[in-house]
Amino acid sequence: MKKVHLTINRKTVEAREGMTILQTARSSGIDIPTLCYLKGLSPWGGCRLCIVEIEGSAKVVPSCSTPATDGTKIITNSDRLHRLRKATLELLFSERNHICPMCAYNKGDCGLQHQGYVHGLTGVPYQYLYPNLPVDLTARYFGMDHNRCILCTRCVRACDEMEGTHTLDIAGRGQHNRVVVDLDTTFGASETCTSCGACVASCPTGALFDKAAAFRGKLNRSTQHPTICGECPVGCGLTVYVQQGRVVNVMGDLESPVNHGHLCVRGRYETWAEPRERLAHPTLRAIHQPKPVTWDEASRAIAEATRGLAPEQMALLVSPRLTHEEAKAVQALAPRFGRVGMAAGRHEAALCRVARESTSKIEDLAHADAIILLGAQPSQTHGVVAARIRTQVRKHGARLLIFQARKSDLDACAEICAHMVSLDHALWDRVGAVLRTARHPVLVYGAGAMTDDGVTVMERLIEILESNDQAQSPILLPLPEGSNSVALVAAGIEPVEDVSAWLEASPVQYLHIIAGDAPDGGAHLLREKQATAAFQSAACLVVQASYRSALSNMAHVVLPSAIWCERGGTVTNLEGRDLEFRPILPPAGEARGNQAILKEIFR
Amino acid sequence: MSTPPKIKVATAWLGGCSGCHMSFLDLDERLIDLANLVEFTASPVTDLKEIPEVDVGIIEGAVCNEENEHILRTMRARCKILIALGDCAVTGNIPAMRNPFKLSEVVARGYVETESTQIGELPADPAVPKLLARVRPIHEFVKVDVHIPGCPPDADTIWYALTELLAGRKPKWDESNLRYD
Repeated sequence: MKKVHLTINRKTVEAREGMTILQTARSSGIDIPTLCYLKGLSPWGGCRLCIVEIEGSAKVVPSCSTPATDGTKIITNSDRLHRLRKATLELLFSERNHICPMCAYNKGDCGLQHQGYVHGLTGVPYQYLYPNLPVDLTARYFGMDHNRCILCTRCVRACDEMEGTHTLDIAGRGQHNRVVVDLDTTFGASETCTSCGACVASCPTGALFDKAAAFRGKLNRSTQHPTICGECPVGCGLTVYVQQGRVVNVMGDLESPVNHGHLCVRGRYETWAEPRERLAHPTLRAIHQPKPVTWDEASRAIAEATRGLAPEQMALLVSPRLTHEEAKAVQALAPRFGRVGMAAGRHEAALCRVARESTSKIEDLAHADAIILLGAQPSQTHGVVAARIRTQVRKHGARLLIFQARKSDLDACAEICAHMVSLDHALWDRVGAVLRTARHPVLVYGAGAMTDDGVTVMERLIEILESNDQAQSPILLPLPEGSNSVALVAAGIEPVEDVSAWLEASPVQYLHIIAGDAPDGGAHLLREKQATAAFQSAACLVVQASYRSALSNMAHVVLPSAIWCERGGTVTNLEGRDLEFRPILPPAGEARGNQAILKEIFR
Repeated sequence: MSTPPKIKVATAWLGGCSGCHMSFLDLDERLIDLANLVEFTASPVTDLKEIPEVDVGIIEGAVCNEENEHILRTMRARCKILIALGDCAVTGNIPAMRNPFKLSEVVARGYVETESTQIGELPADPAVPKLLARVRPIHEFVKVDVHIPGCPPDADTIWYALTELLAGRKPKWDESNLRYD
């Protein structure tokens, strides 16, 4: 990489060719004020705060979008620049209704306020415009207050470049410029918004704010804790904001090699912004009413229920969310339970086996020029993978082909969508034409690729890819769905795809289900056919879970377990990375970690 | 030996919540130091109504009605240095949140339609000052010499601004002493 040399404020600095003046200055420890610039997004040059002077030129230029060139002499801090920047800020403050004391913004590091302070802005010499602007509160997790918007377009670019949906854009002219959702609808009515919250995380003012965090104190006065998201096997890095023993926000961890700061709705919001009833005490179901009891009483009740039972009369069904450490504790109980199984989706076992062998990384998508999505729904199940696919297609020209998957927003990015097996020659000719030009194909597949039809399509695709001798051999990226199912299956826990058949193999007297911190409290298990009847047939049903659900309501004994931010332990993500949960808060109420519970009950 | 003449100060509270005056009272024991240097004339704190000729005039609140405007113009005419104290005086702030709406709608909402109002009527007594169509910060009416933003400004910020002015300097503002909320 060619080096260039220039001076900034009379100091000689070095830059790689292609770096902007702003990047060069910041890498040399010289700060230039910015508002519309955000590291990781393409530069916009819209706010005009990062202007600098170049010797020999009467014009000032935005440093965020001007390349550093050899031999230029740059000044970033003259009186003239200060005056111009201050004037820009005065115009920004007077344009909309920036009523700081009434702002829902809680990040505590408002970019507009901060720049006002830095530039010593005590008032505005102009008349304020006081425009009448809407507030859109229709989204489930966040709101948009146009009164606070400075049109920096960071949200527009985050939506486009990180999530890849381009839900947001700017409409109108001049003073009537406004951020719009889709074709000027609301967030609630948007057909493309995935609620990933990248727009909110990138907003420098209070224009976009998280509803659950609004007016709840400043994030920069919270403690910040890194951990991981346990909702799917991607294992995104989270930064958890805590105030007074409460999670007040969750953002993507910029340092995470998995997600680089981006999250999907499950990690960003479903972890903390969803009202759910925590199970706070061990509970025994008396004749009519559930009764809170002590751990001792629960333990005695279970000892009573299991007394004299043979191992084949006892079954332990666990969630794929368990950590390695929790799985060890479960396996230690294997001699007492005739059956120990992990609840798994259809074809999860086969997927886990291939995922175990795979060395592919999500990052491999960044080099893909053709992405084949087979039998998977990443927009629903692995949001950050879906975002990578979208951005790779939309920003880097990769061609997307979708097979054996239900309709999703990704269809809009795809060149070919075959939702069902097709024998249509024209279709396969088109598939062949696309794949023949590919050099770096990536095949992303899920459970749907493991069905008979899926395998047929997969074989056909591999055949086409292998006939292309210009291409690298395709990178296969399997997407299992259980958060830690690959490792749990590898550790020897039996994946159970058909719970009722598993239970009916021989009658079960004692059934212990560890649903853990599944947001639905494990209720999804009841959607399996005849599962409800199978669970009810056990003389004693014990549910170990974090949230109240239809499943816990059925249980004879409920054991409250810790949630993601209260747990420690490791999991292995779908790329094979070992990732660590950090316990950030003590378990709520009487809840305990899964290992501690098993130790207490089966000591 | 004669003591130097005390600097005369007047304060007024226009369309605001009195929070800035409360924050001023938060100067606590520093009020005693201040009382040695300045003489408080008309002010909601002294309850003296008529503004005399003063050195420093301090205005809290935005200009919402004709009386506010009258007091502001009187203060400006009778003081040498005029200070806008707090966000309402500086930007219009919360009182100005009515500006995007029509005055008639705002008044009807406040006096007639509010959920807790049983039989509401619009105030019609000529003694009640007439509301202006839009709430305005004070610099839109008169020249302001010093702005102290904040809702309210901290006692420390007020102390800093007053002591600088008493020392004959213009306060310098930056990240360390500015706040808009």
